[in-house]
Amino acid sequence: MTGQSGTGLNVQETSEELRRTVTRLFGRSLHIRTLDTGSCASCEQEIRLLAAPHYDLHRLGFFFTPAPRHADLLMVTGPMARVFETAARKTYDAMPDPKIVVATGACALGGVYQPDPFTRGGVGSSFPVDVWIPGCPPSPLALLQGLLVAVGRLAEKVKDLDFALNGAPR
Amino acid sequence: MPLWTLRGLRRGIVTTRYPARPDASAALLPTPPAFRPDVLTAGLADRLVAVCPSRALARDGDLLVFDVGACTACGRCQAEAPQAAGDSGEFELAAIAREHLIKRIPLGGGLG
Repeated sequence: MTGQSGTGLNVQETSEELRRTVTRLFGRSLHIRTLDTGSCASCEQEIRLLAAPHYDLHRLGFFFTPAPRHADLLMVTGPMARVFETAARKTYDAMPDPKIVVATGACALGGVYQPDPFTRGGVGSSFPVDVWIPGCPPSPLALLQGLLVAVGRLAEKVKDLDFALNGAPR
Repeated sequence: MPLWTLRGLRRGIVTTRYPARPDASAALLPTPPAFRPDVLTAGLADRLVAVCPSRALARDGDLLVFDVGACTACGRCQAEAPQAAGDSGEFELAAIAREHLIKRIPLGGGLG
């Protein structure tokens, strides 16, 4: 999937077009494969809660699947342990196109671990990530919002936040 | 028509879109900090950078660079400088580009 530069395609336009296609295709039926690349399992606990009655992600058309070949979206947690990279690559390659990759949690986003002999220190260097969900761990609500951003049903909000306070902290 | 369908119709909404109503538990979630630019000085920023365990904070000249994606909402910066760091209250932080999560906060308190 990588190394497509030099084909004359405008990457920005192509990715926008892909995003629109994905939204159209996956609007009401999207199957998620979770991939733990060395996380502490907090993220997995929160992901598991998505299927609980309180959050009930099935009502929104999202389903979990254990088979990469059935999956449309890869939800990656953990800092990408180097011993797991081959398995992660095989999982990604086994998924049919078009596919979405969602990096989940601060480890996957490159926050907690430095790149070292054991981990990549984030999943950004191993996958073309489409959506980044911060949090340690991200709450089920945050994950749900991230999934809806991934299929284009919610607009991302964080770009317009400046994380500056005007008055005294609450 | 199955009985359950009738029951669902009578009882109102069967399924909802997100977010149909605010979640009561959302206010209890730990959220990344927000900073007061008018209080931040270079010295204070360096202290905050030093206490951050997940490399979410860095100082770039007269800017405090806050990587929301790397933040674990541990609260150490808020404990270090309660006058300058408070709760942002934001948890819906999904971004379609990594750089959208990197915030540059001016050090309005000067470089002293």
